Amino acid sequence: MLDLRVPSGWFFTLLGVILVGMGVFAPGYRTAPLTGINVNLYAGLAMLVFGLFLLLMARLAAGKTR
Amino acid sequence: MKLAPVDYVILATYFAMVLGIGWMLRKKVSTSGDFLLSGRAVPVWITSLAFIAANLGAQELIGMAASGAKYGIMTAHFYWVGAIPAMVFMGLFMMPFYYGSKARSVPEYLKMRFDEKTRGFNAFTFAVMTIFSSGISMYALGLLLHLVLGWDFSTSVLATAVIVLAYTYLGGLTSAIYNEVLQFFLIVAGFAPLAILSCAKAGGWHGIVSRLPSNMTHSWSHMGSASQNPMGVELFGMVAGLGFVLSFGYWCTNFLVVQRAMAADSMSAARRTPLIGAIPKMFLPFVVILPGIAAVALAQVAGPGGAHLYELPLKLSGGVWVKDYDQVLTTLMAKFYPAGILGVGLTGLMASFMSGMAGNVTAFNTVFTYDIYQAYIRKGAPDQHYLKVGKMTTIVGVALSIGAAYLAGYYNNIMDILQFVFGFVNAPLFATFLLGMFWKKATANGAFSGLVTGTVAAALTWGLTVAEGKGGVFGHVHEFPSVMAQNFWIAIFAFTSCFLVTVLVSLVTARRQESELEGLVYGLTKIRRDENAKWYERPVVLAVFVLVLAVILNVWFA
Repeated sequence: MLDLRVPSGWFFTLLGVILVGMGVFAPGYRTAPLTGINVNLYAGLAMLVFGLFLLLMARLAAGKTR
Repeated sequence: MKLAPVDYVILATYFAMVLGIGWMLRKKVSTSGDFLLSGRAVPVWITSLAFIAANLGAQELIGMAASGAKYGIMTAHFYWVGAIPAMVFMGLFMMPFYYGSKARSVPEYLKMRFDEKTRGFNAFTFAVMTIFSSGISMYALGLLLHLVLGWDFSTSVLATAVIVLAYTYLGGLTSAIYNEVLQFFLIVAGFAPLAILSCAKAGGWHGIVSRLPSNMTHSWSHMGSASQNPMGVELFGMVAGLGFVLSFGYWCTNFLVVQRAMAADSMSAARRTPLIGAIPKMFLPFVVILPGIAAVALAQVAGPGGAHLYELPLKLSGGVWVKDYDQVLTTLMAKFYPAGILGVGLTGLMASFMSGMAGNVTAFNTVFTYDIYQAYIRKGAPDQHYLKVGKMTTIVGVALSIGAAYLAGYYNNIMDILQFVFGFVNAPLFATFLLGMFWKKATANGAFSGLVTGTVAAALTWGLTVAEGKGGVFGHVHEFPSVMAQNFWIAIFAFTSCFLVTVLVSLVTARRQESELEGLVYGLTKIRRDENAKWYERPVVLAVFVLVLAVILNVWFA
């Protein structure tokens, strides 16, 4: 059976990379009318960590069954 | 709201992802059981998250933010008084019978416990309900995307429907469930930042409390009488109507959610599905309701230019401008999200819509194939035939939902009524299940007459009472302070009359042999105790943990 942690892990890693990229390299998109902080950077980092965590869990589980 | 190219990239990545998951799972489908029931082989963490995600449709997401703005923290009652106790009851007491009976659907359990007509009644109402709920939510999303982004209604409705169809057709229930988990993560990723940002801008929870009337920020303190709280509901109506009848009716008998638990890979996993799901479920109010409450507070904070930071959206209704709470969520996104995270939020909204729709479609095709087609149209065909029927039904179900979405667009009033009716259609059903599972003397004729009486009682209560100027089609006997109170009391009447009639008729009609009821009724079923399970894997331990957390949350925000 497909381990769902692999595709969703990659998905959130990719989202995280895109958002962190936006936060670092696109100063025009760092803020919104009511938001002063660099929300793309922080949310992106959180998603990156979550994605990598899922991938790590999948790797550990795959190692156990082998 | 204007989208940047990066937002479209995120949306496209997500679409590719859900289709990819469907594609990877297509080879697992070789029998009708694989397609419609996931072959009972899904890991428990996945079924748990799918259990709550199938209920977290776009309407739920938009509606909870709207209710947060309208009723305040009392909206959390839908979670902390409604869903959580019902989910615990389901896992501890009802799942052993659902899973242990080997029934393939909720209507099929009714057939095994009672008889064919009870099953037919439930299968038919459920099938109609899923199609209309799916259509109504499709309409709501299409309308919102049109209002907010200017997208064409038909294009957005058809495009999302085709994607849902593609992945459910390819991988069946497994694909729907796997995608629901991804969608759940995405909903949280897309909306948790909004909750944090809006709450922080309004001065944190203390800032919100200081700006709003006390009955918006206390969930229990103003429940003494209906006139004191924004929902217009008194304590008994809330606890008995919402907390008991409606929530237990929904979470314990609605096949849409029960199906997710039934797909688990063992009895223990099936019982733990609603219990584990309850843990993230009880924190969802902080993601879906809090932004709505924060929005009302922000509407009272003066910005640098003197104007308020945020204004509640308005719409023209009957020549007057009224608050349009349904747009609270999207207008907040526009205020707080720059391109990038805006794409994630929008994708989260689409994801919630898709998980709700896929939930309806996969429940519909199972009930149609097993409980209508196999029971009434063609019995005893080879399994491959039912697999084909299941796949065809998926296409038909999506097509019918699209039809219902357009119907909703043309006849707004009919849809309002239908949506209201769906709110309490499950209420009598819970009495039937309660008696069926825990009272061995309940008979088939008792159950059927109780179910019919309960449904009629619900319709009568609705037709004879008025709330907020609506209802009262057959007369004007009583006036409720709010539609919400009316809905709760309809449920209470429906449940009580179904319960009483089932008991009375059961006492005078023929009972079945006790040996035929093994595995279906409490007292005649051996519930396996998981002696080998680790302590944290035992349902009772989990249930206690969940209930303690729920009590803490209730007291905290009382």
